[in-house]
Amino acid sequence: MEPKFNLNRPKLSDEEINKHKNFDQLVKQFKQQSIDKAKHDKSWWKSKKFRYTAIITGTLVICTISYLDLFNNSSNKIVKHETNLTPKIQSKKSSVKKSVISEPSAKLKINYTSYKINNAKGGEIKHTTSSKIKVPANSFVDKNGKDIIGDVTIDYREFHDAADIIVSGIPMIYDSVGKKFNLESAGMFDVKGSQNGEPVFIKKNKQLNIELTSSVSENRFNQYYLDTVSKNWQYLKRDDKLTLLSKTNKLNTSKINHSISSPKLENLKNQIEVVIPRKLDSVKIVYAKKQTLLSKPKEPLKPNKPAPGRPTFVFDGSYHEFPELSVFNNVVFEVGEENKNYRSNMHDITWTDVKISEGPVKGKNYLLTLVYRRQVEKLIVYPTLTGKDFELAEKNYNQKFNEYKVLIEKREAQEKKLVDELQAKQTAYFTELTKKQKELDNERSSLIQQLKLNEQKQLNSSFNTLSNQTKATRLFSISQFGIYNSDCPHNENSGKIVNPAFVSHDNTHVVNPDALYLINHSSKTVTNISFIEGFKFIYDPSNSYSICVFSKNKLFICSKELFEKAVNNNKHQFTLHEITDNTESVMDLKKALEI
Amino acid sequence: MAINPHFHHTSEQLNEELIIIEASKQNPEKFGPIYNKYYKQIFNYVYQRLDDKETAFDLTSQVFLKALTNLSNYQFKGVPFGSWLYRIAHNELMQLFKLQKGKKTINADISDLRYICESNDEPFYEEYIPLIKKIIQELETDDLQMIEFRFFEKRPFKEIAEILNISEVNAKVRMHRIIEKLKKSISKLKL
Repeated sequence: MEPKFNLNRPKLSDEEINKHKNFDQLVKQFKQQSIDKAKHDKSWWKSKKFRYTAIITGTLVICTISYLDLFNNSSNKIVKHETNLTPKIQSKKSSVKKSVISEPSAKLKINYTSYKINNAKGGEIKHTTSSKIKVPANSFVDKNGKDIIGDVTIDYREFHDAADIIVSGIPMIYDSVGKKFNLESAGMFDVKGSQNGEPVFIKKNKQLNIELTSSVSENRFNQYYLDTVSKNWQYLKRDDKLTLLSKTNKLNTSKINHSISSPKLENLKNQIEVVIPRKLDSVKIVYAKKQTLLSKPKEPLKPNKPAPGRPTFVFDGSYHEFPELSVFNNVVFEVGEENKNYRSNMHDITWTDVKISEGPVKGKNYLLTLVYRRQVEKLIVYPTLTGKDFELAEKNYNQKFNEYKVLIEKREAQEKKLVDELQAKQTAYFTELTKKQKELDNERSSLIQQLKLNEQKQLNSSFNTLSNQTKATRLFSISQFGIYNSDCPHNENSGKIVNPAFVSHDNTHVVNPDALYLINHSSKTVTNISFIEGFKFIYDPSNSYSICVFSKNKLFICSKELFEKAVNNNKHQFTLHEITDNTESVMDLKKALEI
Repeated sequence: MAINPHFHHTSEQLNEELIIIEASKQNPEKFGPIYNKYYKQIFNYVYQRLDDKETAFDLTSQVFLKALTNLSNYQFKGVPFGSWLYRIAHNELMQLFKLQKGKKTINADISDLRYICESNDEPFYEEYIPLIKKIIQELETDDLQMIEFRFFEKRPFKEIAEILNISEVNAKVRMHRIIEKLKKSISKLKL
């Protein structure tokens, strides 16, 4: 079968190729493949070495057990006791290893945004929410403390409201010397660094400065770091370095000028830079050619009289025998002053041969060649006329000169007409050029305006994800990667205890939560309610609440009104609305929670 | 034809590569720099010979997985590691074409076809295109591979030789023979 032939197939962009690059996935696949191979590989059993080792080890084990059984009964008890203990310790250890961050949904996630930064150069990263990560040069080391060479991947994500906090699974309880507080967040971020899948670390004495864009401008917050080992937030400092932002002063216009483009703009540029200049050149060439084609009248020669005292020659040949010479009849040739070889005795010689040919100045002089035996003389001579011949010639000249003047005037008029035409065409092209230049300027400024509007829209949309009107940046200086939070601790809920029951909005079935979050809209806190006591919680009747429930991969909400209805009803039956089946957008949750 | 700096290496670069490969034999996670370095090259090589990009991406991943799996068998021969990857990619492609016969695709630009004609001292006219396509489609697999390397991917002989694990002279001789064959076919276009 002949192969298919694609001609001029579009090339793939580097971005598209790099999108499929996933080294972590490759390593994962490799490891999985190795495990599968090891599982199915029975070749070790066929090895003689293995068989002999197994037999010897088996014999030794049997001997040891027999010895212990016969001579040391008490040690047997200890062995048994230890064997019973081991699984308990192991199970405890495995429960300790459970992560402090527990995401309630596999689908609803706040994804990391990856940025590359060169370790040697450092730099500034601008996140989509306008937050900035400022990285000094040489900030990163590997696990052995060696400076990282090349690019480091910074993975970064932010959490700004109850919906973000719920889907993140990050605990919002702060344990301060045994007293528990609910944390109200003014913005939280999670930052980590890696190179080729290997974690990197911030170098000792180096700090990354993170300017977190926050939806809260008050300065009653503290900075905390989530210690994933002690599973508690660590107080860092007061969060009082705030910079208030406005929506309009953040527009980045630096890239505008070189990023605008449109077919119209390109066409105008082409007209201005190529098409019209080419037309201008072409019109010049055409008119130069036309000018050369205009007829050039020949100026008649003015007859001259011989200068007094200058030697002359008269051609005394037989005009009858040589009729071609008749034009020289009565012509007196004056010997030019430039003839240094002229001698007066030349007039005494009867020359046997005479030649007359065109002189150095065409139409003005002639070259007279005189031959006598071996003597050859060459003289530059000027034709002159005398007497009546001169008068007749002068009359002819005057008549021809008048005709010549008429022709010259005619030619000048034609030339002028051509120049006027050329200038008119050039002016038309220059007008067109100016018009196109104006159109180009207008198109460019309209594109810039459009781009600015788009950027402003983008900026607004970034701000809108932060929900509130007032914006600020909060400055964090971090010396290790992890989760940081700008928080205000609130006392745990106090008030009435609720033992809730959950039903679907159509009252057809009971909903059993896998995870339950109580959102206090007054204190802006989110509490993950434990299932251990049947999701019992305490609420303050003076505050407003809603509930978010995850059950069997579905997401349910109990709105503020339904919450109030339920707590006022002694049965404490909460009606839940399913947001969507398998919702994948945090925005749906935000909308449902009225954020 | 210019030397491809992504392929050709100084002895220092070869040493650096070798250190990474030796480390990767112990710990596959060290293979990252090699993966990043050659991913695009191998993808382009594979995609040049296929019609759809998804298969090309899958096959590229397969090439690197195979390379990692067989890394312990890799022996340094004084040429960049890339030539080993190209050979794996070539074998993977051959395997694919064997299983799925319609998969083999030739991808070229008109300028490549012009280049072929002009290299054979023949003029190029657009009406020749279908005929040149036919000539190329009918080439033997090995000959087609050489044409792809030389005229479509514009690789210098040194690089072709390293990928095919043959000497540069051998590569030139092979190419000369193919050009002779092509010349005959192209000269018939005039008739």
